[in-house]
Amino acid sequence: MAYFVDRNVKMTWWERSYLPEIIKGMCITSRHFFLNLFGFIPFFLGQRKKRPIFTVYYPEEMVHIPVAYRGRPVLAINEHNRPNCVACGLCEAACPAYCIDIVPGGNTGKQNEVERWPKEFTIDYAVCIFCGNCEEACPEEAIFMSDDYEIPMLDRESMKYNLEQLSVPIEQLKDRVEFTRRMYGKWNY
Amino acid sequence: MILELAITLVKIFFIIGVTVAFFAPILTWVERKQSAIMQDRVGANRADILGFTALGLFHAIADALKMFTKEDFIPQGANKILHTLSPIVAVVPAILTFAVIPFGGQYELWGESVNLVVSDLDVGLLFVFAIASLATYGYVIAGWASNNNWSLLGSMRTASQMISYEVTMGLTIIGVLMVYGTMKLTEIGAAQEDFLNWGFFLQPLGFFMFLAASIAENKRVPFDAPEAESELVAGYFTEYSGLKFGMFLMAEFIEMVTIGAIVTILFFGAWHIPFLPTATLLSWFDFLGTSGANLVVMFINVAVFFAKVVFFIWFQMTIRWTLPRFRYDQIMKLGWKILLPLSLANILVTGLVILAVH
Repeated sequence: MAYFVDRNVKMTWWERSYLPEIIKGMCITSRHFFLNLFGFIPFFLGQRKKRPIFTVYYPEEMVHIPVAYRGRPVLAINEHNRPNCVACGLCEAACPAYCIDIVPGGNTGKQNEVERWPKEFTIDYAVCIFCGNCEEACPEEAIFMSDDYEIPMLDRESMKYNLEQLSVPIEQLKDRVEFTRRMYGKWNY
Repeated sequence: MILELAITLVKIFFIIGVTVAFFAPILTWVERKQSAIMQDRVGANRADILGFTALGLFHAIADALKMFTKEDFIPQGANKILHTLSPIVAVVPAILTFAVIPFGGQYELWGESVNLVVSDLDVGLLFVFAIASLATYGYVIAGWASNNNWSLLGSMRTASQMISYEVTMGLTIIGVLMVYGTMKLTEIGAAQEDFLNWGFFLQPLGFFMFLAASIAENKRVPFDAPEAESELVAGYFTEYSGLKFGMFLMAEFIEMVTIGAIVTILFFGAWHIPFLPTATLLSWFDFLGTSGANLVVMFINVAVFFAKVVFFIWFQMTIRWTLPRFRYDQIMKLGWKILLPLSLANILVTGLVILAVH
């Protein structure tokens, strides 16, 4: 059924005087004014945790970001204080913006040494498009999209993060690890 | 003689200090903060001195500093003299109206009769409107001298709007004059000691029409077609910067205080408290002696007067942040076709009622 708006509304004399709408509007705005004005008092007295106005005071407070948010990609450091990464290069291949650069290091014949690890791992955040393909491609749960979005820099060189700058302990990424397991179903088979 | 001069000087300093040095800067903050709170936002809260923000009150100081340090720009081809003159012509009448506005009654202090008005003119009300309409010249000259089409359009709209609404305004106050039988603002104020004698109860229609017309005179939303920023950039002050721009803003805010004061005096009992005659108030403070009681009552009355003014400023702000802007033809239609006949009818009805009562 076609939807149409009847513009020739027959208004009564009282409605056409524009007064009832003015009064209604004034009621709404002054209600908000007084609710917000006196709603602050319990917050400042410490009786309530939240302000009635939900504006986030940005530099002092941060928004609570949902786990599905794709911030800057980071490397997970496992409990042995090593990156989970085995320098397979799948993320490098999956990256549509070619922002990942890996130099692998191999086993040198010592005992109790891991097979492969990244000697250098560079992500250029100036190029990264935050698509999350690296995370999806990673077979080792090594690279994750964090909730950190504050990466402004003054020049392009410092936008290139090396292995140390990228490393984040895996405890901080627990929610995201759970989320990726659920999302990509790697360990469900 | 010297004492009289001193009293007058104190009164002048008080009223200028309250309006120019207190209300005008504070209102820039009030406008931002109130609009924010009405729209569930936070509003200005970033300017701080040593970490204290004081709810953003320092934004007024920051604004003033910004205005002082900005470049004073005069566009090419503009008339330099008129361009400089127009903000002064706009702001001076706004301040000048406070010469006749009483902010308290008459008090006997230690043998000296103190009348809380700078100059108690017999034609006080007429003086206010005569001076306030002079401000139109400031706005028209501003648009003319700027060499800018937006400015010229804005000033033309200002001229037509202010002339249209001045008619309504003048005819509306005739009702008040008929009821109280005087043009002296102090006498109109003194006549409203009885609560049911307030202008609002004697002239209810007059009050609403006067408020609408005076908001239109002040060129604020919903009647801000002259400076409509979505149509005319900023209207008549498009080409102004620095302190000249600040003077236009100051004129607007001072006019808001003027409107609040005039509405309070004409319609809302001036400095009187409802159901509390001055004699009762005086008898409460009898233990301080006659002069002491008078002094206390004087302070109470001045506080009550400014509380009412503050309420009407709040009311104007609420209107400003509630209603959308009228179209230009709607403004003209409201002014000439609705408010003007209504104000004439108001005079007629008022006259008939006065005849019937006497």
